[in-house]
Amino acid sequence: MLNFVARRIAFAVLLVVVVSSASLLLARLAPGDVTAQLGPFASASEIAGTRARFDLDRTPLGQLGVWLSRAVRFEFGDSFLYNRPVRGLVVRAAANTAVLAVVALVAATVIGIPLGVISGSRQGLLAGVIRGVSLVFLSIPPLLTSLLLVFLAAVTRWFPAGGMTSVNASSLDWPAWLFDVAAHLPLPALALALPIAATFERLQSQSMSETLRQPFALAAVARGLSPRDVVLRHAWRASVRPICGIYGLAIGALLSGSFVVEFVTAWPGLGRLMYEALRARDIYLVAGCAAMGGLFLAAGSVIGDLLLAAADPRLRDAGVAKAGQART
Amino acid sequence: MGVSLALLGAIFFVIRGRPGAPPAASAARRGGQIVASIRAEPRSFNRLVARDLTTETLTMLTQGRLVRINRATFELEPWLAESWESSADGRVHTLHLRPGVTWSDGTPFTAADVLFTLQAAYDPKVESVLAETLLAGGLRIRAAAPDPQTVVLTFAAPSGPGLRLLDGLPILPKHKLGAALAAGTFGMAWTSATPPAEMVGTGPFVVREYQPGQRVILERNQRYWREGVDGEPLPYLDRIVLEIVPEQNAELLRLQSGETDLSNSELRPEDYVPVRRAEEQGTLRLIELGVGPDADAFWFCLKPEVKGKDPRFAFVSRPEFRQAISHAVDREMFAETVFLGAAVPVWGPITPGNDLWFSPDVPRYFHDDARARALLAGLGLEDRNGNGVVEDANGTEARFTVITQQGIGWYERGTQVLREELARIGIALDIAPLEFGAMIQRMLACDYDAIYFRPVATDLDPAGNMDFWLSSGSAHLWNMSQRVPGTEWERRIDTLMLEQSASIDAGRRRQQFMLVQQIVAENLPVLYFAAPRMYFAHSARLQGVVPSVQRPPVLWNADSLSVSE
Repeated sequence: MLNFVARRIAFAVLLVVVVSSASLLLARLAPGDVTAQLGPFASASEIAGTRARFDLDRTPLGQLGVWLSRAVRFEFGDSFLYNRPVRGLVVRAAANTAVLAVVALVAATVIGIPLGVISGSRQGLLAGVIRGVSLVFLSIPPLLTSLLLVFLAAVTRWFPAGGMTSVNASSLDWPAWLFDVAAHLPLPALALALPIAATFERLQSQSMSETLRQPFALAAVARGLSPRDVVLRHAWRASVRPICGIYGLAIGALLSGSFVVEFVTAWPGLGRLMYEALRARDIYLVAGCAAMGGLFLAAGSVIGDLLLAAADPRLRDAGVAKAGQART
Repeated sequence: MGVSLALLGAIFFVIRGRPGAPPAASAARRGGQIVASIRAEPRSFNRLVARDLTTETLTMLTQGRLVRINRATFELEPWLAESWESSADGRVHTLHLRPGVTWSDGTPFTAADVLFTLQAAYDPKVESVLAETLLAGGLRIRAAAPDPQTVVLTFAAPSGPGLRLLDGLPILPKHKLGAALAAGTFGMAWTSATPPAEMVGTGPFVVREYQPGQRVILERNQRYWREGVDGEPLPYLDRIVLEIVPEQNAELLRLQSGETDLSNSELRPEDYVPVRRAEEQGTLRLIELGVGPDADAFWFCLKPEVKGKDPRFAFVSRPEFRQAISHAVDREMFAETVFLGAAVPVWGPITPGNDLWFSPDVPRYFHDDARARALLAGLGLEDRNGNGVVEDANGTEARFTVITQQGIGWYERGTQVLREELARIGIALDIAPLEFGAMIQRMLACDYDAIYFRPVATDLDPAGNMDFWLSSGSAHLWNMSQRVPGTEWERRIDTLMLEQSASIDAGRRRQQFMLVQQIVAENLPVLYFAAPRMYFAHSARLQGVVPSVQRPPVLWNADSLSVSE
């Protein structure tokens, strides 16, 4: 187990360094830089001062070296857009995204897996409808889902049309504040969760129908167990393994989906922060967001391994370390 | 809009009185809050070092100026200075500060704060974005304080705009920022990370809280100096919340749903219909502000040092070539298609929305393809090989790549229409929409053939946009920062603009600027096709709105806003 943990931590560190360095270099090498945000007609001295402040007067590799040397001391530079250190901005945004991602993942699981079990174990209209709806949500880009949900919220006023808290949130006590955040969650969480729920449904459905054709399932039917018991007590556990396997990937999908969803729904998370940073070529903020995104992916990978081990007795018996080894 | 009232006096003209009248007391209810949406975070709370719209809006809400240009009448109004006298030559202005004004923390506001602010704006270490706007005749304004309530400003040369130069300068508190200026850290003072309690002002509101990515909350300044017509202190509102909504469609939906009361930006042409519907339902009010002061623009890079060896430069640099393009574009159709009808045709940079400086007499190039082809033929440009594109005698085709900002609907529609219009006379355009930063970088380096974009003037008075008009200017779009004027007509514009900006005779200033517009229209360094009409919407409960074509369209007058319930 210790070996497993050590390997995953080393993997996470490597992922963070590679992803953030690559992001910094790519953002630096792309056309344009942050001085464009000063406007078309900024003075030469203003542009020069800004370039010096953000190390743009160095070569790209020189800038990367400076940034890495500071990063080991947990100093990730300043953001141009926010005019403050990147570290605090990224941590705060990551916490907001984590809340959103957890809720979205839970929602995707709670919606997608039961529907997948139903559509994979039955024939008929209901299964067809579920399959059709899933295909729709798999096909709609997150931008459209977000805008449709914002439109729905604006028209129906069932929930707020954006933001993370109400304008008077700072004067609320903790329970009321939590309730306020919860009221703002459905819009972005559903926008993120629906395509992932559709993915879960399709995978679960396919896996369930395959499992029901396995000898052990047929034997259970032959023993006279009801279809319901065959599905819930025998087949489901075996069929859920593919879902556990893609949990890590789902967290990656949540992160990439959050770019658009957080932007449209004004959720102050990591995706929106990185989107704004990329648009403005705010290089250190891009690198900071990418580093945090790498951490999310590494965490997702570990969670996926653990769920897989929990769902598969063979892997659990062989030890989690081997599961991790097999996945990496 | 107009030149400073102080410049109209024969010898001394004394201004004294109340600033623009707030709404009638009976119409205004005290208390309540409004929510306005903004698109971006504030870069700073220090206007001297940041020029973004959010910072500018926050500065208007939290800081006072010596004098203010009323955004509705464009007249100069007394503000922190309640009166002034100007010398006959327009160089010396003696301003008398409003007595009894205090900062929001209770510290008295004095002439020392004015001197400190000018000192900070000019300090090279601060690298203030306002420094260049505070020059008269290219030189700094000298300031002296004979007593705590009086400031004497001496301009090195007469200045057409006069005291209007001071409209953009917020007066900052010496007692809070003096130490930072002395330590050379003023540029990093009052960033968005500064605790709100440390920031004080003389504006109607103070910053209570900034939640990055979400909102800025402002509360009424209990020590604000201005009073309503009922003698009670302004502002009427208790709070203004600036909600950060980066996506424009979501911004409109939140306005329609009543979650916000107004947007800090004008509506897009495509927003007009849904807002009109909401107005019919009684939830929103739609205001047409009239023709905006900024037209769309299309120009070629005409910098000989960069483009001189390009064989196309031989004909692009000729006014006849650009006149042919102007003739080829049906401006009525352009306004109808690109701006969905919410625009008027224009032939120059000054639109009918800037009525004081607009010249209706500039040459107009009416839609005439035959005339356009004749002009091209006069330059030796004909379609010799029958491929639909004209070329010169050496076979150089009139084919160009036009860059524009991606993601803006009417920029992309505009370039499409231009491509179709110019194709009819044999000029080929390839379109390359670019991300804003990449486009600006190319523009500054003259690394482009042509650009379609809408530059926004910083001031309606042409003397406030000398960087555009002068050949040495950094915003002289087609050939920036020239050491000496590259053409005779640019030399004439330089001369006229320098005289115009240094004159205190309003009539003469206007006459000279009409000549400048005439020269520009004859030579067409930049082609203008349409000026969009500006629309603005706000919730039906918002009262006291005096909209302006200049940004911010409503919050410039925030101390007089109120809500009906």
